[in-house]
Amino acid sequence: MSIIVKLDDQLHARRMTLTELSGKIDISLANLSILKTGKARAIRFSTLEAICAALACQPGDLLAFDPTIPPEEA
Amino acid sequence: MSRPYPGALTISHRVLRTLVVLNVVYGLGILGLLVASLIAPGWLFPALGVRLAGDSGAGLLGMRLIMVVGIASAPIAHVILTRLLAIVDTVRAGDPFVVENGVRLQTIAWSVLGLELLHLVVGAIAASSAVSEQLDLDWSFSITPWIAVLLLFVLARVFDHGARMRAELEGTV
Repeated sequence: MSIIVKLDDQLHARRMTLTELSGKIDISLANLSILKTGKARAIRFSTLEAICAALACQPGDLLAFDPTIPPEEA
Repeated sequence: MSRPYPGALTISHRVLRTLVVLNVVYGLGILGLLVASLIAPGWLFPALGVRLAGDSGAGLLGMRLIMVVGIASAPIAHVILTRLLAIVDTVRAGDPFVVENGVRLQTIAWSVLGLELLHLVVGAIAASSAVSEQLDLDWSFSITPWIAVLLLFVLARVFDHGARMRAELEGTV
């Protein structure tokens, strides 16, 4: 998928683990792991809002678009 | 929310398994009758309490055609029962909203349509003047099964759509 999730970079910059983030927001570690590894097919605004609030960042800091990667087939 | 009638699925599973066996017995029974009507019609029809008046050729043919329809209905009923059993098993396993169940419902819809068409064939045999003179068949048309066919096709589509929507939601975080 040409949408890249940069959650790992944001966590690394803040010296925060995925488990700690999961503890701060009401989202399971399993779901956050799916998001971090780029296996998620969609993200809810509520999830995005919770992560942005916990990491004090913008949605653009978490997501990026790379046109060189072919889009996922439906 | 409490689960309504927790034992209902187990009972449904057992009833359906029994019906699958009974349907096979029914099919073989009708096949046996057809064979007997060909080998020993003079014995079979009086034994069944069928009195063929006058020229019994059309009556015999009508009875045999109805037996053939009966035999043809057994595999169709088998398809319905086994698909329904598979649906009940997915409910018991806790995951009924799968695309396969939509396909199964559609197969059931086509099968019920097939059974209704066979019912019409029996009606046509019963209505033919040559047979009606010989046999008194209690046949009547009912709109209810046709509405059930329509309902099953609609439900199959609803199920298919719902299962696809759920599959899409599964990857949502």
